[in-house]
Amino acid sequence: MERRPKEFDPAGGGWAPWLFLSPLLVFAALFFVLPLGFSVYLSFTRWNPLGTPDWVGLRQFEYLLTRDTTFWATILNTFVFAFGFVVAGVPLALGLAFVFSRARGKAVWRSVYYLPQLTNIVAIAYLWQFVLDDRYGLVNRLLGMAGLRGPDWLTDPVMAMISVVMVMVWYDAGKNMLVFSAALEAVDQEIYDAATLDGAGATRTLWSVTLPMIRPAFIFVTITSFITGMGFFALILAMTGGGPRGATEVTALYTYRMAFEDLRMGRASAGALILFVIIGVISLLQFRALKERAT
Amino acid sequence: MTASDPLVAGERAEVAAEARVVAPRGMGRRAGGVLKYVALALGALVMILPFADMFVGALRGPADVYASPPRYFPAEPQWGVYARVFAELPMRTWFANSVIVTGLITAAQVATSVTAGYALAKYDFAGRASIFRLVVGAQMFPFFLFIIPIFFILRFAPLMGGNDIAGQGGSGLLGTYAALCLPFVVTWYGVFLMRQFFIGIPDDLMEAARLDGASEYRIFRSIMLPLVKPAIATLTLFSFVYHWNEFIWTMTVTRSAPELQTLPVGIYLLQGAFENLEQKSLQQAALAISILPVIVVFLALQRLFVSSDFASGVK
Amino acid sequence: MPHRTIIAATLVTAGTSLAAVAQDAPLTVAMHYTQEQAAPLLACLEEYDADGVTAQYQQISYRDYLQTVLTGRLGGQSPDIYNLYSIWAAQMVDNGVLDTPPDDLVSFVTDSYAEGTVDAATIDGTLWGVPTEVSAYLLVSNMALLREAGYDAPPATWDELREVAEAVTTRNAQGRIENAGFAIADSSSGAGFVHPFYALLYSEGGTPYSEDFAEANFESPEAVDALSLMAGLTQDDITDLSVDAYDFPAGGIGMMIMANWFKSEIAAGFGDAFAQDVVASAIPMGEEWRTLQYAFFMGVDSNSDRPEEAWALVRHLNEPRDGGPSCMGEMLAGLGALTANEADNAALPEPDAFTAPFVAALAEGRAISQPNVMQSAEIEGMMAQTIERVMAGEAEPEPALSGLDVEVEDILFEFY
Repeated sequence: MERRPKEFDPAGGGWAPWLFLSPLLVFAALFFVLPLGFSVYLSFTRWNPLGTPDWVGLRQFEYLLTRDTTFWATILNTFVFAFGFVVAGVPLALGLAFVFSRARGKAVWRSVYYLPQLTNIVAIAYLWQFVLDDRYGLVNRLLGMAGLRGPDWLTDPVMAMISVVMVMVWYDAGKNMLVFSAALEAVDQEIYDAATLDGAGATRTLWSVTLPMIRPAFIFVTITSFITGMGFFALILAMTGGGPRGATEVTALYTYRMAFEDLRMGRASAGALILFVIIGVISLLQFRALKERAT
Repeated sequence: MTASDPLVAGERAEVAAEARVVAPRGMGRRAGGVLKYVALALGALVMILPFADMFVGALRGPADVYASPPRYFPAEPQWGVYARVFAELPMRTWFANSVIVTGLITAAQVATSVTAGYALAKYDFAGRASIFRLVVGAQMFPFFLFIIPIFFILRFAPLMGGNDIAGQGGSGLLGTYAALCLPFVVTWYGVFLMRQFFIGIPDDLMEAARLDGASEYRIFRSIMLPLVKPAIATLTLFSFVYHWNEFIWTMTVTRSAPELQTLPVGIYLLQGAFENLEQKSLQQAALAISILPVIVVFLALQRLFVSSDFASGVK
Repeated sequence: MPHRTIIAATLVTAGTSLAAVAQDAPLTVAMHYTQEQAAPLLACLEEYDADGVTAQYQQISYRDYLQTVLTGRLGGQSPDIYNLYSIWAAQMVDNGVLDTPPDDLVSFVTDSYAEGTVDAATIDGTLWGVPTEVSAYLLVSNMALLREAGYDAPPATWDELREVAEAVTTRNAQGRIENAGFAIADSSSGAGFVHPFYALLYSEGGTPYSEDFAEANFESPEAVDALSLMAGLTQDDITDLSVDAYDFPAGGIGMMIMANWFKSEIAAGFGDAFAQDVVASAIPMGEEWRTLQYAFFMGVDSNSDRPEEAWALVRHLNEPRDGGPSCMGEMLAGLGALTANEADNAALPEPDAFTAPFVAALAEGRAISQPNVMQSAEIEGMMAQTIERVMAGEAEPEPALSGLDVEVEDILFEFY
């Protein structure tokens, strides 16, 4: 280096930062900006990729939004799945975090609860298929031994949605539990002591001390879970294939199939963009709402 | 942003939490203490049962599945199933691909995250704020949005795989390991994570080195990099787990290239061969094998994996 | 138990992703049969060496076949030779995926194959390959269960079928079906619903489409009647949808409307009792019963770099060998599937008691081909969902079929 500044100059790197950033910038151009642009372009076309794209203007959006009842059904399923996942998963993870952060033997509990997160989604889907089999699955066998007729976990449309939400909660519980417990552990013991000295009971301490302190974690988990839930379809693809009778077909899966089974790239891109806009708008609203309550 | 090393902070927090347990106050706490373990144990049972079910299922033989009603516990556990998995399924190919692809992606992600995170944390240059906003913002874009366009970007990559300069005529990068790895060589989250770590390292070290005439690369390589080793280990573990298990993308690009399929994808796409009741045990054994390596790696590296890593994205 | 062997084929293809570029790479033959089912064919492929040109097998799951072929083609990962379900063909021809066969192969096909199946490989007047598997649907019964319930013969009418099914069905303490008297047994592709529906629709005298494919006939009274028959079974609690096709080989199903290719699976489950306990009989729709037949044919990818060699291999696999059936013929006979290759039928032993009724159904013209309509995989997916919804009691046959008719005509409108 020719330059030797006397004072430390963070700008003193010359070209170095750009060199360090070059892989990221190339990647951002090729695998972020370009695909997004391409995707928007495709949504205005009709394209079977073995041929060439035809420009059709807004026709794909029009078809999806006004004619395709299945598309709306999948949007509804997407919401049910995502909200079910958040509403059941977040409190459960928080509750687990409370007990986990105060328990001994953390290494063991952590390994056990984190196990699903280490497992590939195909294995998760299949192992639950076996466990939830209507007639000979573990759960219904156990219920049968108790003289109960277990539900049709995967063949009844309502139960199938409940089942996939449940498995998703099971899959993610360990991860969110660790996020929450990290937040709980960061709360200073002195604050608790102060609250106890002030005569605050356990419930009060929870509501007025603990929960406000972990609010950032709560917002983070809620919003990331929601975004994950809205766009996640690998589990459903492998576990129910969107069935029975479309009951668990979520929009991301529907557009994936449209693209790679029916070769409708234009319409599938339009569907994916609509879903993305919905997710974006709702995440923003959620973020605002959760932030406001904090102040 | 916190200036302390979250890993250290995390371990401290854990020690503090354990200390709290050691000194319980009052009887109410003790009763709650038992309940706490009951709850944790019940939860743990729910976590483990499906895996146990898979191991039992793998050992069932034809006599068990064709019994009326079918038996849950095999009359004679068929331990040979694990040998059959390797004899009858292309396990070796899948396994090798999983190792190659996961290894390449993890190495690339660590390299790009460290360099980019370092640049964003330690240099001041025009555009830094915008690039950082991109890194944060890009994390919000769900992956499903990219499947179709990236598939075709790889397909029409100019001059690759028999393509001409306009990207026509050949198959581009599809059908190669590049198609499996390239879309993942940068992880926005990893860049973000590494930036947070570098921010916590005091600037004086860099300053002193510059005064000594060290090159920018040397400063990075010999001074900064060793300081973030724990963060690199954490990122490595996260990347490894994620990409060992990656499914949708790999399936999309290897559907018709069996020689490139990884474990989860191979097992999924061979589903037609498992419909026969007798083959279910083979499927379950294959699944067990697909899970094991990750569990082993995780248990071996667990101490790097403290819960505060999970908090670093929150702040 | 017979030795259950290799089920995957991908091992064979390992490390040869560049098959399409390397001249000395083996020709790839992609089929949906498991390696176990395809064993006789695999032996032929292994032996094959025509002036240095060798061959290998690739298994693609039936459910994903069309999807795999089309996306593989985008990625230049096409096999050289396909075995195609006739309903996929229209779309593949439309997308230019298939190569036209050389003249000598065309005359080989027209000379040695039954006319009806040659039609299945013909689209818009052009022949696209060599017909291979032919299957028809009949009522397949587990006589052990029927006899236990007091019936010595399979039913001949739908009312009888309902009676027998009800008598055979047993439930456990929680009311779950243990043995199903009759099962609509799906195995992941939707065919389990759609194919029996076709058989009933044809027996009612209906057709799914107008001649030119411009219109769908799902609103017709015949279609409504056919679906009502199926729905009646679940509405009246005679059966439910919890049973899997592979429960038949396990002995848990009394009757199902099934295709002959399933014979090898059933035989594996029944072992020695097969001949005595498993019977195929007419679709129980009275004297005028009809059924569905479908066909596969072997074609060559238009991107293959060695089309001549590929067609030569196709011919080799389908031509009778000295004093014996062709490789394909031998494999199909092992499955219990049929072939329209007259030389093979002469060289193979007479069909057994199980297979004979299927042969007769084809010979008597009772088995009607599945329509070769565009996007038929997509359409049949919609049909399967409609039928399943009605059978699950979530919709009535008539409005559900009207809805289907509109959706399908939306698709037809794009092409016809």
